[in-house]
Amino acid sequence: MKLLRFYILMSFAFLLVSCEDLIEVDLNSANPKIVIEADLNDLSNKQMIRVSRTVDFGAPISSEAITGAKVTVADSKGRLFEFVDKGEGLYVKEGFKPVAGLSYNLTVNVEEGVYQSSTKMDVFVPVDSIAIKEETLFSKTYYSVVLKFDDPKDIPNYYKYDIAINGKGFKFASAYSDKFNDGLYVSHQITDRDNSIELGDSVVVRRQCVAKEVYTYWNDIQMLNPGSAAPANPTSNISNGALGYFSVSSAKEYGLRVVKESN
Amino acid sequence: MRIHLLISSLIIFTYFNTFGQDKNTISGYVKDASSGELLIGAVVQVKDGQLSTSTNSYGYFSMDVLQNEVDIIASFVGYKPFFVKVNVSDKKRLAIELEPLDNMLEEVVISGKKRNDNVTNAQMGALNFTMEEVKNVPVLFGERDILKTIQMLPGVAKGGEGSSNFYVRGGGGDQNLILLDEATVYNASHLMGFFSTFNSDAIKDVALYKGGIPAQYGGRASSVLDVRMLDGNNKKFAAEGGLGLIASRLKLEGPIVKDKSSFMLSGRRTYADLFLKLSNDEKVKNSKLYFYDLNAKANYRFNDKNTLYLSGYFGKDDLGYGDLFSFDWGNATATARWNHVFNEKLFSNTTLIYSDFTYRVNVSSDDSKFRIASKIENINLKQDFSYYRNNQNTFRFGIQGLRQKISPASLDAGDNSSVNSIDIEKRYGIEAAAYASHEWKPSDWLSLIYGLRFTDFMVQGPGTFYDFDADGDVVGSKEYGSSIIKHHLNLEPRLSMSFILNPKNSIKLSYNRIVQNLHQLTNTTSSLPTDQFVLSSINIKPQYADQVAVGYFRNFADNGYELSVESYYKYMGNQIDFRNGADLQANKYLEGELLFGQGRAYGLEWLLRKKQGRFNGWVSYTLGKSERQFDQINDGQWFNARQDRTHDVSVVAMYELTKKWSLGANFVYYTGNAITYPSGKYSVNGNTMFYYTERNGYRMPDYHRLDISATYEPKPLHKRFHSSWSFGLYNVYNRKNAYIIDFRENENNANITEAYRIALFGAIPSVTWNFKF
Repeated sequence: MKLLRFYILMSFAFLLVSCEDLIEVDLNSANPKIVIEADLNDLSNKQMIRVSRTVDFGAPISSEAITGAKVTVADSKGRLFEFVDKGEGLYVKEGFKPVAGLSYNLTVNVEEGVYQSSTKMDVFVPVDSIAIKEETLFSKTYYSVVLKFDDPKDIPNYYKYDIAINGKGFKFASAYSDKFNDGLYVSHQITDRDNSIELGDSVVVRRQCVAKEVYTYWNDIQMLNPGSAAPANPTSNISNGALGYFSVSSAKEYGLRVVKESN
Repeated sequence: MRIHLLISSLIIFTYFNTFGQDKNTISGYVKDASSGELLIGAVVQVKDGQLSTSTNSYGYFSMDVLQNEVDIIASFVGYKPFFVKVNVSDKKRLAIELEPLDNMLEEVVISGKKRNDNVTNAQMGALNFTMEEVKNVPVLFGERDILKTIQMLPGVAKGGEGSSNFYVRGGGGDQNLILLDEATVYNASHLMGFFSTFNSDAIKDVALYKGGIPAQYGGRASSVLDVRMLDGNNKKFAAEGGLGLIASRLKLEGPIVKDKSSFMLSGRRTYADLFLKLSNDEKVKNSKLYFYDLNAKANYRFNDKNTLYLSGYFGKDDLGYGDLFSFDWGNATATARWNHVFNEKLFSNTTLIYSDFTYRVNVSSDDSKFRIASKIENINLKQDFSYYRNNQNTFRFGIQGLRQKISPASLDAGDNSSVNSIDIEKRYGIEAAAYASHEWKPSDWLSLIYGLRFTDFMVQGPGTFYDFDADGDVVGSKEYGSSIIKHHLNLEPRLSMSFILNPKNSIKLSYNRIVQNLHQLTNTTSSLPTDQFVLSSINIKPQYADQVAVGYFRNFADNGYELSVESYYKYMGNQIDFRNGADLQANKYLEGELLFGQGRAYGLEWLLRKKQGRFNGWVSYTLGKSERQFDQINDGQWFNARQDRTHDVSVVAMYELTKKWSLGANFVYYTGNAITYPSGKYSVNGNTMFYYTERNGYRMPDYHRLDISATYEPKPLHKRFHSSWSFGLYNVYNRKNAYIIDFRENENNANITEAYRIALFGAIPSVTWNFKF
């Protein structure tokens, strides 16, 4: 369905003789809100949670770090993981590798109040093959990474992908559910949000099997486009009106180099 | 209940009040002398008298006269008035033919002085015009477009740059009942809204009702746009067409049996896709990008009392990229009408209508091959009567049965596809309606139209219906057979009245309640062909609007200028919006994604219009407010509807410079749309995110634009062959009106965020060559 949306948008974009320029917009400032990014996964045994506040639109920083918060995660086996404040809003726990099948509870204690969330970690759905795909649309060549796998039948599965190009940090790429292809041999075509992968790039794709509410969060983000009637904040799974999300996922990373296919 | 008692007592009262008067009745049709086209709204009156009436939408009139011998004058804008002496005992049925004026320069003063219908008529909130009246209004790409023209009337908000969507008196985009020869047109736009489905060559007359909506109409909460097709020339064969930059048109019409039967065929096709063939890219070469329209109509006049009309419309948009992807959509309508005159007082119209809207998507890339198809269709049977009791009393009543069927987007994947087929249940609904209205002129100073419409919307099985909790999660389901599952019963009172202070001044009042059982779900700013339609159901209650309006109407300079000031207040109940991140596609739990709330709109509309003469046009100004309230949106606080426009100004001017040259210009200005902008930002996983606080709390920049046009019609080379050139310039001063404003990270420094604007059309010239023989 994402593919469909892409094609529709491409067709319409093709129609429009549009022009684009930068403008000044006078925006109000809002009371700062707590933002919690808790993306725990089994890629390593060091977990990191970031706690910050929103800033004004015109601020020269992207967010304001919160230090001194008390951040803990408990699992359904009764273990408690206390995160250590490393400054700049980062809270780290060494020696903590989450396990698929368990439930996890997050508690973040800051000046403004207590924020809580819980989620379950799903098992990883293994990838069968991975390749670079080249496509030409309206005389421009686009590259993407295609992952193929068997989607487990009769179980709702949710997938989230981040991508890092040429060693720059990971950025969100896309999120999928198996609503339209439950139990089938599925292809996920991954590219960065700006479709900027070029020949010669080295690309790392991080695949995470996430919980439904985490998929909802990222799907809300990817559904936002300049044509949305009313953009809104993505649906968070954290209590007390915090922005952000709490995810515990099974994950794997795949590195590739974009080269011309040898015929 | 009190209102209903009042109405029934009024009906009884007037019935007895008028009973037993004996007068001579004349009736008949008013037509165009050169083509035989029936004229809608032509004025028929007795010379030197107060008696006057106008033709209905089938060109029919009926009038009581006091003397046996009367001088009758028939008149219509753009035609020479027609005088005839009638001896009523000899001849009661008239067939009046009006000669069209070649040119507006031949200004004719109508001696009958009955051009103040806009003042004295009880109907308010209504505007109508013929295509002839607006032919010199400048338009985008030189394509004359009725929907673009009505957007320049007060109380009608434009859908956005180049869009044929419109919003009436703060109502929603899906609250306009758009009728083409009485058939519902579900999607009135082509190519993302830049063109309307109405090919102006095929259209005779357009009427827009914004308030005090007559009881014979129902089904959409905000307005009625009643578009009538031309019947076809029954005197001689004629052809008309045009070559433009974007599209070409051709119309053929002529008699099948002279004076008895005629046909009209009109087609239009865009050819932007021909340029794709010039591309070097194979896929682009094989791409599709066009739309076409076909209008067809035929009629047969059996005798003075019986006429049969058949009309149809078929239009399609086709987009495709190589063999990877194709997307087409379109409307089809078919109308069969039988006009029967029982006697000079009782006119009947029986109509059988079918219309549908379909879209199809075909994707066949390596990884996914599937087809998506969706359809909404209806069959509608209507019986309408007009009873011209006497000059003071006209009764209209009728019944209607409408069956609608929605086949939501189903996904057909075929074998060996990487997606599963999905079939979402079809939904059915039957709407039975009955109405009665009375147009009554009890005295010189008062005229009124009041009526009542009763609707029973029946939610029909078979199907599985779900129950949802407050969060929209499914809590239960029930399967129904092919029976009626639920009735939504509604009474819709309508009233419009005019207090005539003197022949030049009147004050009008109106009230209407309208119920809507078909809802279009749009969560993008432009309505897309893929928008989902839903019927009222167990969870979805009918939308409704209650509107009151008051207005002052005045004519100046011997009825040369018409001024109206109308003020309205509208309350909208059971309005629909969506949960955050709602999934509207192929979702059997779709109803769980909906939120229900309310709306209110109020405003003041000014219209100064000059209909005749070398220089004509109008100035319209609307001061308005439109708001919505949903418990789950914006913390339950009222917020501006997107189309809320504080100020909305349109100026349309047309000038007949010489016999060969005529000029047109229009200027529009309106307050920018209410829009949601971020009030802060934050970072998640290295992505800059925007923090939104208030729904539609900001404004787009104000919109304004000037367009001009010139039409040159040289002396015909041959007596019968006329041709003309139309030149246009859209957005003369090349203003970059914002179509979209969005926000993004600065390319060089991700910590800095910036706003950018996308503007669609700069100055766009156009040229069209038109011919007629």
